[in-house]
Amino acid sequence: MSTIAAGNALGATTAEIRVRARREAAPYTSPYLAGVGIGIVLLLSFVLMGRGLGASGAFSSVVTATVQAAAPGHAAGNAFYARYLVDGAAGPLGDWLVFEVLGVLIGGLTSGLLAGRLRWTTERGPAITDRRRLVNAFAGGAAMGIGAKLARGCTSGLGLTGGATLSVGSWLFVVAAFAGAYAVAPLLRKAWQ
Amino acid sequence: MTAREIRSPRVERGLAIAAVIAGALAAVAGTPTRPARGTVNVTELARVVEQEEDHVTAVELATWIRDGKAGLRVLDIRSDSEFVEFHVPGAARVPLAEIARMPLDSAATYVLYSEGGTHAAQAWFLLRARGVERVYFLRGGLYEWLEQVMNPRVTANAPQAERDSIRALTLWFGGKMEIVDTPSVLDGKLALPHSVGTREAIRKVRRRAC
Amino acid sequence: MAPFYELGRFGDGMSLVVAVLLGIAFGWFLERGGMGNARKLAGQFYFTDLSVLKLMFSAILTAMLGLFWLTWAGLLDLSRIYVPETFLAPQIVGGLVFGVGFATGGLCPGTSCVAAATGRKDGWALIAGMLVGVFVFGEAFPAISVFADSTARGAWTLPQALGLSYGVVVGIIVAAALGVFAGAEWLERHAERPAQPTDVTV
Repeated sequence: MSTIAAGNALGATTAEIRVRARREAAPYTSPYLAGVGIGIVLLLSFVLMGRGLGASGAFSSVVTATVQAAAPGHAAGNAFYARYLVDGAAGPLGDWLVFEVLGVLIGGLTSGLLAGRLRWTTERGPAITDRRRLVNAFAGGAAMGIGAKLARGCTSGLGLTGGATLSVGSWLFVVAAFAGAYAVAPLLRKAWQ
Repeated sequence: MTAREIRSPRVERGLAIAAVIAGALAAVAGTPTRPARGTVNVTELARVVEQEEDHVTAVELATWIRDGKAGLRVLDIRSDSEFVEFHVPGAARVPLAEIARMPLDSAATYVLYSEGGTHAAQAWFLLRARGVERVYFLRGGLYEWLEQVMNPRVTANAPQAERDSIRALTLWFGGKMEIVDTPSVLDGKLALPHSVGTREAIRKVRRRAC
Repeated sequence: MAPFYELGRFGDGMSLVVAVLLGIAFGWFLERGGMGNARKLAGQFYFTDLSVLKLMFSAILTAMLGLFWLTWAGLLDLSRIYVPETFLAPQIVGGLVFGVGFATGGLCPGTSCVAAATGRKDGWALIAGMLVGVFVFGEAFPAISVFADSTARGAWTLPQALGLSYGVVVGIIVAAALGVFAGAEWLERHAERPAQPTDVTV
């Protein structure tokens, strides 16, 4: 791999383990083409399963299963967790998304491997530390966990699936999500640029 | 650090043009589901209903099933769970929406039933509007089937031949005939006892089932 | 006639295989488009790199047109397709909260998996955060359930809400999306770019 460009030297405070890649990191595909690819996958999902893709539901299933393992009665008695339980076990809807997300992990890994884009590193703006970035990521994730469950979906489940099926609430969600993001982006400039 | 991005302007432009065409045509097409239209001869339908050629009795249906009437299609217009709980032998479950668009068999004789008969009557109308002529429904619904075929009550002073034929029919379907003093079935018309609902009737039948 | 699973063409076991395969393709394309890289994603919110918008709407357009024309051709039963339900207030509020998290984290639930799979520690941190967030929500749910279940509208679609035909709404969305794409291309060329090398092959 070629040496890190000077502009990134500021961020290289921690040693980065480089994964042996086949070649130098390949350029990304056009977002339009990648998007059409995803659109075809989404369409296939509708054709094969009668439902679209998703992501946040898998997280709910994992949390529900964990809560159930730790405190069995608690999960069953909670109206939110109960959605992801069927007869006291993880329900089929949750299972499907869990398997789909497992596929996403595999697909992402494979593409990254073949493109030479695997790196054990932290993506962040040059002006913040790795640690700061990880804290932000955790906090952002927590907010998204709450937001996604309140909205009953995320950019995949509502944005893509709801978007394609013209669901009113899904389109509202996407608009609101972009609004929320753009609203706080100026405050986070230092983190990214 | 972010890597470069390859752009393929020609492919992207092609996709954009395809999208414009597909979108414009969609706007012109309006609805993706082509409506299936039916025509109704109101006079004819009124005559059919008045002369009671629109329905069959449960006994008639049972006889058709037992005798293996050619082209007989019994359709259950209820929910999945109700169907699973109990249905007429050989019946297929078809919700109302399906009735409107399912492929039709021109050689078939359709008999429709629902719990009480209302939905079946509506489905009957839909099929008539679609041009099907050999279609009937159970006016008393599943309830009539249970009352007349699965658990018929025959008066003690009914003719022997009648009692035998009813008993044979009931036994064929795994039901049970009861001899009672007070008649609950008069002249083939269904008299509804107040205390027994369809669910109760079903429960009675299922308790006897193996 | 599709959808095959809904019409009983294959069973639950096979559906999980389908789930994994679809997921693999999904993850593959997300990574191809660079969505596993939080910095690239965050560029969306500074108008330097609008890939998120382009990718999302390209996908929506493709699937939306596919649904329309497959139904028109009689190959798909649109009434059996699952439409995400509408809950007006929770989805708007949830969307805002989600958006704040999105800009802060730089990844969404799906792309965080791609980031994590390609070795990004921030992807893992985000996943951990999301699990905690879902847990917090779950615990708080009894207290906010009234709000969370409020303003339900069921499977309400834009054609129904706008009183326009399905095809017209599809046409409008296509036109709007292409307009947005054109705008995005213009914005990317003219947005103030921060002083850092973004066109470097690593």
